[in-house]
Amino acid sequence: MRILLVEDEKKLCELIARALKAERYAVDVALDGQSGWEMADAYGYDLIILDLMLPIVSGTEILQRVRRKNQEVPILILTARDLTEEKVQHFEAGADDYLTKPFAFAELVMRVKALLRRGSISRAAVVRIADLEMDRLSQQVKRSGRKIELTAKEYALLEYLATNPGRVFSRTMIIEHVWDQSFEGLTNIVDVYVRHLRRKIDDPFPTKLIRTVRGVGYGLGESGEA
Amino acid sequence: MNTRSLSFRLVAWYAGLLTVVFVVLGALTVLFLLHYLDANLFDIQARRARQIADTLLAAAPRTGEAAVGRQIEVLYSPETNDRLIRITRADGHIVYASGSPKDRSFDPSQVPLPPLTRDGKFNRKESLPNGALLVAAQTYTGSDNSRYVVEVGVSNARTEATLRRVLIMLGIGLPITVCVAVAGGFVLVRRALRPVEQITRKAEDITQHNLSERLPVVQTGDELERLSISINHMIARLEDSFQSSKQFVADASHELRTPLTVLRGELEGLAQDTQLKPQTRETLGSMLEEVDRLAEIVEGLLALSRLDAGEAHSEWVRFDLAELAATTADQMSLLAEDKNITVVCEATSGVNVEGDRARMKQVVVNLLDNAIKYTPNGGRVRLNIKTEDGCAVLDVADDGIGIPQDALPHVFKRFYRVDGSRSRDQGGAGLGLSIVKSICAAHGAQVEVASVPGKGSRFRVRQLLVNNTSVHAHP
Repeated sequence: MRILLVEDEKKLCELIARALKAERYAVDVALDGQSGWEMADAYGYDLIILDLMLPIVSGTEILQRVRRKNQEVPILILTARDLTEEKVQHFEAGADDYLTKPFAFAELVMRVKALLRRGSISRAAVVRIADLEMDRLSQQVKRSGRKIELTAKEYALLEYLATNPGRVFSRTMIIEHVWDQSFEGLTNIVDVYVRHLRRKIDDPFPTKLIRTVRGVGYGLGESGEA
Repeated sequence: MNTRSLSFRLVAWYAGLLTVVFVVLGALTVLFLLHYLDANLFDIQARRARQIADTLLAAAPRTGEAAVGRQIEVLYSPETNDRLIRITRADGHIVYASGSPKDRSFDPSQVPLPPLTRDGKFNRKESLPNGALLVAAQTYTGSDNSRYVVEVGVSNARTEATLRRVLIMLGIGLPITVCVAVAGGFVLVRRALRPVEQITRKAEDITQHNLSERLPVVQTGDELERLSISINHMIARLEDSFQSSKQFVADASHELRTPLTVLRGELEGLAQDTQLKPQTRETLGSMLEEVDRLAEIVEGLLALSRLDAGEAHSEWVRFDLAELAATTADQMSLLAEDKNITVVCEATSGVNVEGDRARMKQVVVNLLDNAIKYTPNGGRVRLNIKTEDGCAVLDVADDGIGIPQDALPHVFKRFYRVDGSRSRDQGGAGLGLSIVKSICAAHGAQVEVASVPGKGSRFRVRQLLVNNTSVHAHP
């Protein structure tokens, strides 16, 4: 899988490239719009990550040119501007996803995986993490065979953490997926729910599944790049 | 009536000045008229006296003194003309004296004799019981050295009558004129000041949210037009500076986003390294928390500048505020439970308002979060939604620590903290309430706060209802 990253902020470029390479993607980097367009034109990438504010040729322009030529390649827009109209405008122009700075790198990687449809989101009816078992149809949770009662929000939180075991999710990501944007800024709502979830999932058992990485967020299952 | 108002004062001054001017002018007119009429009457009598002296008395040596009297009767008939004519010789002998006048305005026998030693002509006013008599006298010395004094007199009753009439006219005319002038002046002043009224009303409507509006320019070509134009220029300059400060906040926030992303990415990468010493991990975590806070402030500022720019109108729908508040309270119940706080939600459904649902939800979230944050463990938070006078009223009341009186006017200001050290522990960017205020402003809603320190605070949002008729049909 080969990804083209067009972003004029050099440091950010390096970081994203590093994060994606850690996921075993091949990453090509373009630091301005002109070379970005030439590279996109010359090679059939599997995914293009595009910043909007670029020197020489703007991201919007590249998006339009690519779409005129090639309908297939998924394009993820990366931008510091997040007006709703602008988002709509770019989705209409053919963007597949939109990520606003500042974003968590875990979020970026998840979205990239989702766009490349590479097994990041498990579609299986039953998800197993260690001895935890989640039935997505009946929304039932068992650990070591014992049934655990969860409220709807606790279940939603657990299910979201389980979409990508081992990865750490930031509080902002969790709020956006489990609650809605109105709750942004109230990071302690996540902490409170995780604490409640822990009481039910982890406290009665010797091995702890929910992991806290201070300053980053929460994850489910063993850490590691598996 | 407001006695300090410009129109009242202008008219009062105007009326006062007008009255003074009229009274002075009237008095001068009356005095002048009196003098003129007297002088005129004296003049006529004096001319007549000279005529008598020059023609009749000059002929007396030939015709005899008695003939003079007869001729006067024929030529002047003083009784019918209400005149006094008297000729006195220097030795005091009265040569001729006319009889009582027809109108009985004076009695000739009561008129004292003139000073017989004086020479030339002289006028005098005799006060008689019936009124004053104007007497003009003329001395005559004949060729035989006989000296006479010819007197012609007339009652000044007519002059007095004229003066009385003038005074009556002035007495009636002056108040009427002043009244008419005041009424006219009032109308004129009101008309002239009406643009001021318009300008005042419009100027009060202009706030930082509608600085693009302008005052009506009154095209009168006068000072008011100039005033309204220069106030408009002032508003334009204000708008410019507001605009550039907003633009600055928006630009700065955008510019901060990329470095924040990089910073967070680098730190996250480090923090997930399992080989770290616990102390390093703590430090990294603390740094990440601060990065989050910075990001939160940047997001809050952007949200505010976007609200100021009026972007909230993008997703305008009709919704039930009570239902929204109840669901939100439910979603946040665990947050309250965590502190053992009871959230009581009293809501009657069908409180329909119009607006951006997500934004209004944010208002409820921020207010509830605030209430929960500042209520001690085991306290109570009350959420109440009702309708009142065509408005939806949302109350969020807590029995927490309250807000000091002098801090109340500032709680909606950006980055304002009642007490820095204590509030900072509760986290947050210090923008929550100003976001609430901006969202409310964008929805034409008012938000106010009341608080008793130690007893609790109450935030109230008041928003116009949309008419309920069609909504009852679809419950």
